[in-house]
Amino acid sequence: MAAGGAGGNSGSGNRTYSFKVVLLGEGCVGKTSLVLRYCENKFNDKHITTLQASFLTKKLNITGKRVNLAIWDTAGQERFHALGPIYYRDSNGAILVYDITDEDSFQKVKNWVKELRKMLGNEICLCIVGNKIDLDKDRHVSVEEAESYAESVGAKHYHTSAKLNKGIEELFLDLCKRMMETAQAEERLKGNGASQSASSRRGVQIVDDEPQATPAGGCCSSG
Amino acid sequence: MSQRTERRGIHVDQSDLLCKKGCGYYGNAAWQGLCSKCWREEYQRVRQKQIQDDWALAEKLQREEEAAYASVHGAQALSHSQPAASQPHTGHASLGAFSKFEEKKTNEKTRKVTTVKKFFSPSSRTASKKETQEGKTPSPSISRHASFDTEQVSKDFVDFLKNLQKPGREIHKQCRAFIVNMSSKKDLGADELSECVQDFYQNLADRLMSHFKGSSESVEQVMDQVEKYIMTRLYKSVFCPETTDDEKKDLATQNRIRALHWVTIEMLCVSMDEEIPEVSENVVKAITDVIEMDSKRVPRDKLACITRCSKHIFSAIRITKNEPASADDFLPALIYIVLKANPPRLQSNIQYITRFCNPSRLMTGEDGYYFTNLCCAAAFIEKLDAQSLNLSPEEFERYMSGQASPRLNNSEGEWPHSGSAVGVTPTNPVLAQLNHNLEMLSGLSSRQESLMEAAQSLQADLIAWPKNVQREVNDILEKYPLEIMSRTVSAIDANNMDNDQLPPPLTPQVFAG
Repeated sequence: MAAGGAGGNSGSGNRTYSFKVVLLGEGCVGKTSLVLRYCENKFNDKHITTLQASFLTKKLNITGKRVNLAIWDTAGQERFHALGPIYYRDSNGAILVYDITDEDSFQKVKNWVKELRKMLGNEICLCIVGNKIDLDKDRHVSVEEAESYAESVGAKHYHTSAKLNKGIEELFLDLCKRMMETAQAEERLKGNGASQSASSRRGVQIVDDEPQATPAGGCCSSG
Repeated sequence: MSQRTERRGIHVDQSDLLCKKGCGYYGNAAWQGLCSKCWREEYQRVRQKQIQDDWALAEKLQREEEAAYASVHGAQALSHSQPAASQPHTGHASLGAFSKFEEKKTNEKTRKVTTVKKFFSPSSRTASKKETQEGKTPSPSISRHASFDTEQVSKDFVDFLKNLQKPGREIHKQCRAFIVNMSSKKDLGADELSECVQDFYQNLADRLMSHFKGSSESVEQVMDQVEKYIMTRLYKSVFCPETTDDEKKDLATQNRIRALHWVTIEMLCVSMDEEIPEVSENVVKAITDVIEMDSKRVPRDKLACITRCSKHIFSAIRITKNEPASADDFLPALIYIVLKANPPRLQSNIQYITRFCNPSRLMTGEDGYYFTNLCCAAAFIEKLDAQSLNLSPEEFERYMSGQASPRLNNSEGEWPHSGSAVGVTPTNPVLAQLNHNLEMLSGLSSRQESLMEAAQSLQADLIAWPKNVQREVNDILEKYPLEIMSRTVSAIDANNMDNDQLPPPLTPQVFAG
């Protein structure tokens, strides 16, 4: 849906992006640790204050633009697999996590990717994440294989370790930038092709879009 | 100032200082060159006009609503004429910028605000007018029969909009027009109705953003109130409408959950330990919250129930596992809660929220996440099979058909008589229990037989008893027959010796004429 992307202010300067990101991956690949490390900077900590780690938000400021990130954890058990579409409906990005020591979890990621592309097309930004690089000696998924696969499906590949706090900040920052680009591209498209449902009031918004195109270019070149 | 300049010798024409109305008194620049008397008259006139304009608009809105419920056709005609008629008022309306409305809240003593207050206040002329109109109309409109909370919500809404001044009036007008409009669309399908409402939200939010330059927070606040008002009014006609098969689905889900009564917490791999009192307390609260959802009218209130339920589940998991709950823990727990609660009209409620909730809340917010999980839980329950509970298909079938119950697996040892009676295999706990029950039943029936015997003998005794009593009475009567002694009847006054000396009794004297 178009509305999913960015319910933001008109007015180019202080626009706020709201993104929904789903977290997919098998049971014990470390999805929760990953997101808790990112939002709370804690790992297996007894002092984690949050009651839950299934819905977390993060506010970012990227090249002067405010971004509200909502991270939706999903149940990774096989028996809930069929519920995926309910979760990732309207999401702007997906983080697909696998455990580098677990070949099966990488296969699961492949299944997710297929499904996501089928259901949501190219509008969704995919990140494939190999977690637990601190256990590199037990690696069962080769770097080359993972990276070439990611490239073949138009996703980006990252290596992370929630335990050592490696690669996580980069992963989310990169994802946000890509989602912003997608949202801006979509807006430009909407602006040119003036959707039929647009009322006279929407017309005002289209005018607002024009100054926005300029910072968009700036963002792309910087990123 | 002007006096000073005069003294310095700069020539000021005498006529410049006089009242512009030409009444002969001196005027004052602060009163636009009028004298105090003329100024007061002029000012009163302008103000009166403003107030009257406001009232006129208020009455117009009132009539509009009245007409809306009285007849759809009349209402449509009015709402068509409404934009043109209301146009002139924008000029008189206060200029309070929408983005500053919060500031204005604290500043209620200014004249403008009181005017607006008067305009919306239920105790003002608007209200009395409403009553007289009601008296006149032969057929009372539907809105008059509205329940107490509908009225309460309308009142709250108006109270809220009071603080917004001009945008408030605009919003009020639009909402009413929309409700009127919706009442003429009752025949539409649920999806079309949903589209109407969503378009309205979208347009109003856009308008507030662009036209009144509201910040996104304040717009959201307004939209929440708008949703509350509109959906409370529309609830009856759009919740579980007849055009959909929501009701059928509700029944199906209800029966499905009933048939799944045997599913245990272990089968779902829920990480909640109900042995801990705090956990079971949270479980009970979660169940109550999810059931309560059905009693709310506003989609956002329903969402709040789901959120509260989820928070209780998180607490329960946190207490059990001592770490924050991930979705892997949460979803099974929610499924378990839904199975336990069997929330009334689950599908209707889900559909209603999906169709009529303000989308921004549903798409990205925390409430939206919990709602999505509830949808997942409902979908899972619908599709649930042997595999999803890690059971063999045969087991699943037996549990579903009620031939077996998994709960008894744990309590095998409790039946010491199992298998001893009729030679059934003692390994099957269900048969063992059946056996045990049969034994108990036969014991019961023998006891009942003896009870019946005792009862019969008691009955015989009871029948015999009055006969015995009768006989005894007769015996005694025969033994001591009743002899009636003749007695001399003595006059009461017999012992009174002085009777003769008393004067004769008075005889009534008759007086003639």
